[in-house]
Amino acid sequence: MAGVTAPPSRPMLGGFLTRATGTGPGTGSRWARLAGDHRGLLFVAPFILFFLAFMLAPVGYAIYTSLFTSKLIGGTRFSWFANYSQVLTSGEFWAGVERVLVFWVIQVPVTLALAFFFAVIFDLGLAKLGRFFRLVFFLPFAVPAVVASVMWSFLLVPDFGPYARLAAALGFRGTNYFSPGLILPTVIVIVVWEFTGYNMIILYTALKAVPKDVLYAAAIDGAPLWKVILKVKLPMIRPAVVMLIFLNTIGALQLFTEPMILATFQPQAISFGFTPTIFVYNTSIGNGEYNLGAAAAVVLGLVIFAISVGSRAFFRRKREAA
Amino acid sequence: MLSTTAVTAVTVGALAACGGGTASQAAAPASSTTTSAASAASKSSSCTPGATPLTFWGWAPGYQQVVDEFNKTHPDICVTLEDNGAGVAEYTKLTAALHAGAGTPDVAEVEYLELPSLEIVNGLVNLVPYGADAYKSDIVPFAWGQVSQGSAVYSMPGDIGPMAFYYNTSLLSKYHITPPTTWAQFAADAAALHKADPSAYLANFDPVETQWLYALMQEAGVFPFKYSGGTNVTIDFTGSAQMAFANYWQSLISAGDINHTSDFSPIFWKNLDSGVDASWLNAAWSPADMAPNLSKTSGDWRAAALPQESASSDVAGSWGGSTFAVVKGTKYPKQAAEFAEWYGGSMASWKILSSPAAGAFPGYTPLLNSSSLTNATIPLSGTSKPNQVFSSTAAHVASIQWPPFMTEALTEGQSVFAGVLNGTETVPQAFQAYQSALVSYAQAQGFTVSQ
Repeated sequence: MAGVTAPPSRPMLGGFLTRATGTGPGTGSRWARLAGDHRGLLFVAPFILFFLAFMLAPVGYAIYTSLFTSKLIGGTRFSWFANYSQVLTSGEFWAGVERVLVFWVIQVPVTLALAFFFAVIFDLGLAKLGRFFRLVFFLPFAVPAVVASVMWSFLLVPDFGPYARLAAALGFRGTNYFSPGLILPTVIVIVVWEFTGYNMIILYTALKAVPKDVLYAAAIDGAPLWKVILKVKLPMIRPAVVMLIFLNTIGALQLFTEPMILATFQPQAISFGFTPTIFVYNTSIGNGEYNLGAAAAVVLGLVIFAISVGSRAFFRRKREAA
Repeated sequence: MLSTTAVTAVTVGALAACGGGTASQAAAPASSTTTSAASAASKSSSCTPGATPLTFWGWAPGYQQVVDEFNKTHPDICVTLEDNGAGVAEYTKLTAALHAGAGTPDVAEVEYLELPSLEIVNGLVNLVPYGADAYKSDIVPFAWGQVSQGSAVYSMPGDIGPMAFYYNTSLLSKYHITPPTTWAQFAADAAALHKADPSAYLANFDPVETQWLYALMQEAGVFPFKYSGGTNVTIDFTGSAQMAFANYWQSLISAGDINHTSDFSPIFWKNLDSGVDASWLNAAWSPADMAPNLSKTSGDWRAAALPQESASSDVAGSWGGSTFAVVKGTKYPKQAAEFAEWYGGSMASWKILSSPAAGAFPGYTPLLNSSSLTNATIPLSGTSKPNQVFSSTAAHVASIQWPPFMTEALTEGQSVFAGVLNGTETVPQAFQAYQSALVSYAQAQGFTVSQ
């Protein structure tokens, strides 16, 4: 296009500024163009500062700390990667990583499957008092994780708690939900209870945004209901599902609050490195070995980063193939 | 990073149930065994303007009343009490503040076992120049030994936890058992009781409550640590005496003659109240914890001396207890020392500290040996006078030396002994694991370790 037109990417405010200073569009003074181009930066500046100060700086400090070793006798010395080799050879740490991976592989699909199931039911309008029940299902998410864990600790008390008595009534006498065999399923149940409602609301909203004409077309084609749900609706809310897998994964790999609170009531149920974050906490706070804890935190961060980047690449490739 | 962990630590500390304080034992830091409250900073209202301001970090119940009393009777000093968590939660903050060189209180409540850890980083002020030695004759000897290092005194002893055999007399007499005087007799009685009633046990054994385990080892003469400052430390959980101790308790567990549930848990209280556990090897402050949790057996409980290794020995153990230390960096060491010494060494303070609201058991001998304490009765013990036993054992508590890494030892202990509670590990195996964990930690920290 010939003519003196403003470049399409110039923000409106920048255009205003050049008009205000009396210079024409496209020929604006360097000053005006700089001011216009950096307006966007001003808007994101608060977040950038927050991000730098509270996200990047601590990570940098952790990496820095992990390269030293502090001893009660001998003070602090630069020790290169000694802490990392200690963490990488620590059976306790890797047992925690393995446990959290098992937790992830079970908790995320179960949560999302349940959330999708209920979202579909609400979307189809099958439930009377839909709004009321949506609120009820969402309530566990509104309960802080600490409070939820305290509550579940009382509900699951061996022998005397209601769930232990229920198990006994069903024939499973002496069920101890905090025994080494049952502690991980117990934590999974608590976390699924906490987060299904939240995931359900997101999927429900996404389902509501599915264009009706697609559904009418499927109905006209004579597709059965289950096919409509799984082959039409589910693919159409794919972006929401992928986002939720992402969020749930990061949350699952950082599992901390629920086992820590359970440990307050049942200290023998949660080991030193039950999850990697608990390992970091116990190493740093319990043992005062902040350097080793920092190294463990960095390793954990890298593991989570690798899984996140890997799954994004996986989904992107899937989308391109589709 | 530190603020998040501090918030978590405060949260965990704030969840400590009033039933004994072990609630802040997350898989990590064990807390003080004296009961804990979760109030935030409290401002003393009875301060005169111009008074010297002091900050006091403490968690045990009843402290605000004691602080108020001090402020009333010492108008030139104004103390503010702050609850920064119980036990390790507070020590973490204290160590961090000392490291940073800012934010330390003037006086802090510190359990006996944590004192060497603070002494080694030079975090405490020697009280001898501020007249501490004058109180030596008023403090029970073992407590004075634990706050001293060489000729210096680093803290003012507060409460203590001498241990006794606290038993349900109606249950024991039902099976014609008298309180055992030796551990061999204890084992025989445990077997007899369990045989007569397979649903009952003579006592509970919870090594995850590691401070309790240390007190038992102290009583049995097999305390595993030796440390008197410097870089040398002895750690010995696997010596012949220690393994004999471990094997003794394992034999009771293997035979099923002893219970192993978590101390202070709801099941634990239920067991004591319903005749499942016939006794609790507990400390002088424990009946105050038991009282709100028991109802059916109220009036049945009696105190007797713990069994001994042999009929002629007379050694006691002490579980828990706190001291009051002046922290380095205080602007007013003289006034802080005056406060700490008054807190642990005056009848005015102990009148409140030993009241039901606070429930602390004194290391302060004028009260410890007084008839008002020894003749006191509590509903839990009917007409008997349990303090006569607790008070007399206090004089026989064995002197021990804590190493300067108790936070780590207690954290590790919870993990290492969990298997014993779960039934997946024997006590000797746990002792071996504990030994190697502690030795590698101490060596990594630069200590010269003897085993």
